[in-house]
Amino acid sequence: MVEPRRPTGFRYRPPGARRLAIIVVLVTSMMITLLGRLYYVQLLDPHKPTQTAGRLHEGDIVVPAPRGLIVDAHGRPLVQNTSAQEITVDRETLQGLPDHGHAVLTQLADLLGTTAKQLAREITPCSPTVSQPCWTGEPYQPVPVTTTASERAVLAIGEHREDFPGVAVQTVTMPEYPYGSLAAHVLGYTGEITEADKKANPNLVDADTIGRTGLEAEYDSVLRGVDGKQVLQLNPQGYAVGAGKYVPPQQGDTLVTSLDLNLQKVAEQSLAKQITDSRRAGMPATSGAVVVMNPNTGRVVAAASYPTYDPQEFVGGISQADYAKLTAPSANDPLLGRAIAGQYAPGSTFKLITSSSLVMHHEINTTSLYGCPGSVTIDGRVKTNYDSEVLGDINLENALGYSCDTFFYVPEANEYYADQARIAHGKKPHEWLQRMAADYGVGTKPGIDLPADEQAAGSYADRETRQARWQANKQTYCAEARSGYKNVANASDRAYLTQLASENCTDGWRYRAGDNADMAIGQGETTLSPLQLAVAYSAMFNGGKIYEPTIGQAVKNAQGQVVRTIRPKVRNRVPVSQKLFNYIANSLSFSRGWAVSGAFAYIGSKYQNKIGGKTGTAEVFGQKDTSWLASWGPTSKDKHGNVHAKYVIVGMVEQAGTGATAAGPMLKRIWDYIMGAKKQ
Amino acid sequence: MTLTARNPRDPFVLTPYARPLQRGRGYDRLLNASALALALIGAVLVWAATRDLQRASGGDPQAYLYRHLVNLAIASALMFGASRFDARLLRLFGPIVYVASVLGLLLVFAVGSTINGAHAWIRLGGGFEIQPAEFMKLGMIVGMAVLFTQRAHERVMRRQFVAERVDETPHASDVLLAIGLVALPLVLILLQPDLGSAMVLAAAAFGVLVAAGVRARWTVGLLLLTVVVAIVVVKAGLLADYQLARFSAFTDPSHDPQGAAYNITQAHIAIANGGLFGTGLLHGPQTNGGFVPEQQTDFVFSVAGEEFGLLGGSVIIALFALLCWRGLKIAREADRAGRLVAVGIVCWFAFQAFQNIGMNLGLMPVTGLPLPFVSYGGSSMFAQGLAIGLLQAVRRASD
Repeated sequence: MVEPRRPTGFRYRPPGARRLAIIVVLVTSMMITLLGRLYYVQLLDPHKPTQTAGRLHEGDIVVPAPRGLIVDAHGRPLVQNTSAQEITVDRETLQGLPDHGHAVLTQLADLLGTTAKQLAREITPCSPTVSQPCWTGEPYQPVPVTTTASERAVLAIGEHREDFPGVAVQTVTMPEYPYGSLAAHVLGYTGEITEADKKANPNLVDADTIGRTGLEAEYDSVLRGVDGKQVLQLNPQGYAVGAGKYVPPQQGDTLVTSLDLNLQKVAEQSLAKQITDSRRAGMPATSGAVVVMNPNTGRVVAAASYPTYDPQEFVGGISQADYAKLTAPSANDPLLGRAIAGQYAPGSTFKLITSSSLVMHHEINTTSLYGCPGSVTIDGRVKTNYDSEVLGDINLENALGYSCDTFFYVPEANEYYADQARIAHGKKPHEWLQRMAADYGVGTKPGIDLPADEQAAGSYADRETRQARWQANKQTYCAEARSGYKNVANASDRAYLTQLASENCTDGWRYRAGDNADMAIGQGETTLSPLQLAVAYSAMFNGGKIYEPTIGQAVKNAQGQVVRTIRPKVRNRVPVSQKLFNYIANSLSFSRGWAVSGAFAYIGSKYQNKIGGKTGTAEVFGQKDTSWLASWGPTSKDKHGNVHAKYVIVGMVEQAGTGATAAGPMLKRIWDYIMGAKKQ
Repeated sequence: MTLTARNPRDPFVLTPYARPLQRGRGYDRLLNASALALALIGAVLVWAATRDLQRASGGDPQAYLYRHLVNLAIASALMFGASRFDARLLRLFGPIVYVASVLGLLLVFAVGSTINGAHAWIRLGGGFEIQPAEFMKLGMIVGMAVLFTQRAHERVMRRQFVAERVDETPHASDVLLAIGLVALPLVLILLQPDLGSAMVLAAAAFGVLVAAGVRARWTVGLLLLTVVVAIVVVKAGLLADYQLARFSAFTDPSHDPQGAAYNITQAHIAIANGGLFGTGLLHGPQTNGGFVPEQQTDFVFSVAGEEFGLLGGSVIIALFALLCWRGLKIAREADRAGRLVAVGIVCWFAFQAFQNIGMNLGLMPVTGLPLPFVSYGGSSMFAQGLAIGLLQAVRRASD
């Protein structure tokens, strides 16, 4: 049809119809293949795949269980639950708004005193590209943004629901400490769940609270309860489209402790007052602790530590600023529970152990008189009594009462030389004092029902540990001896430290007679926690039992039934006769008045005759003395003349002077309360 | 006037006097109708695929529908513009289109952004992106068409009055030049890496070679070479991990049900459960549930399969068949350059539709390719609009 219009020869002939036919065949076969395959897939296939993922699946919102209460021995709550108004933001709802919830977040941020940007970050689910702060929970779950909103904010949201789509206020339970910092170190604080917690216990979820320290940590599994859940129906994108069944949470069990709320209060007030008083008297009085124990049961009745903190700060997560404040050097470590986790040179309070060792191994007896000179020279070094007091020849009763040091130096130095003689003859040293200390629990964690890192083991020196430590540290000692402590300003301190380092460098392995003498009066490397000292003194009134003390007494379920009873275990018995216990108790009874150093504050009180106690004034290099008093009462005697006591109270104030000037009056206020001299 | 004097009868000469346009020949209505029908079906499918997800994420449920229609409007304008183009000016504009497309591909390497593993997009801002590979298909077809015609024309000119009939079979040098012309964009696209576009490019080029009358030893040889290269590439580990994963998923979808095979499996579930009539528009649980990723683009056919069943799927395939038929009809009636262009475009559409529907049906491995006209996506829609327009221009230029 086209040919007549154009001359041939200049036109290219169309490529052969064969070529186009190839294309037609190819295209046609492709289309037919597709049709065939479509027909097979949709109609013929006998094994049609089906959706196995489920159109809807379920997701859970965890309803955290309220934690169990911690109550005192009379059932008064020390940690309870309070309801708080928690404001949550549902991200799904916000996303559905025309402006993606920007206006709502802006309004909400105004009410909460934050910024919309901050809120938006908090409610965005965390992902590799979204960093903190972000929402670590399920994406379909409304995100809690605060539990501390003002009443005005809560009301505003409640009354103008239409202005706050996706924002809800719900009541949640939160731990509450009705007495603030009371017994804070014993109760401990709680924290939010971390990734590490979840790894350790896969049952934990972000909404849970975990006990971090103290009883909260030790009894966490008891207190935590069982989380409930709200099941949600989710579409494949993870958006909630309906609610399923609700499983209510079960509150954690109640921990009944042996603490006495009132006594605890008195102990803490007295401790705080003593810190104030000692400081007024010109002492640094940096910290202190009180432990009240029942020697007959091994239960702790009160445990106070100064400085302290409020566990409430940790509820719902502590702010960075608050935590920095608590851990600042100037705060002097308020998180450390000094009554149980602190260890200090016990000074003369250690003489209970020294006396036990000396008498039981017949190195001295209770009737003979021994010298109490103003000073003795041991190993070429002069060791004096406190204030170089000279008492002449006295018996053990007065040596304990007046707290003569030289009285104990001599026999312990002799014990040392006897041991050295044994070593020279190829025998093992007895190290009776060390063995006795170990029997009383020194050097071993007391095994109280608190986390292991919150109980101090105390320490003492012996030949073996000295040798081992020297092996490990001698290079450091020698380097320090060579450098001469150039950064220490005080010239005499510098000289002392340098000499010490140089002695350590060459002779550091050597356990000396002076070391044994130091240990005899609770100095040198001897340390104890106030709790350990209370456990040791308790042995005097319970026939020599060393308890693994407890604070928890029983676990009660929600119905009030006791599901578990916690009893202190007797770890061992000290190899000391009841006779000696009675002797020591009588020697240190405040009824002896001025003959007992600790009685100073108690003379004239109505209950003077029912109390006894041993003071300690521990010297600490570069610091003021640590003031100790280990006391007991009210005492009674059975028909065998055995002395019994209801309480053992140990008090300690660091850098506060002698035992009689700080710890004495401090414990007096507690005894006043116990003995009813002053009604609380 | 001197220009015309040189060769008054040459159809490619740049003069309005060469030969007046045959105004009598209009548009191929069926071609336009089939393309429009596909695009409108696409609008419905895109809407069905995105509505629920958009609503769930708080967006406008109709957002994709609107943008698809906007894309269609722009593509229609481009189509109309291209159809007004004098196909006889191809020799002038062909090289320009080709070079511009190659420059676009190069630009991707400089300022491109990565979507779904391929570094193939240029962001224009305002949410608009351009995929130069889409335009490259057109550029390459036009470039090849001009190459073959020009070379043949030169030979004719040399022997103008010597031979009554000119051997139209391209010479080896023509074929080698054409291979070079194809290889450059092919390598650039493979580097993105966009295997799907590269396959379409190769298929279209193959169609042009066949239509240009290249000897069978060349075409068959090239096919064999492709197979060998493919084997070497796979064996030598030159493919990206995700591409290998797609291939292994293709051969065994149960191998990695959560990863590469997830798309295949979910699309298969959607289509298989469509049955004869489908679940009805907006009633596909698989589509509404958002189980099929990329459902508005590469897997749009699965919406049709599920909601319109075998009937709907067949209509789409039939529309593509109709479109190809009309394209080939235009090719048959066109002069040499126009024919090559038309065949190239038809091969492009046919193969891309085959590859895309094929991967929806588990017949072909998954490569990121839109279904022409149907899938959501600006660049592909615009390039296809231009291509339809060019087909119409070729038709209008032929007598």
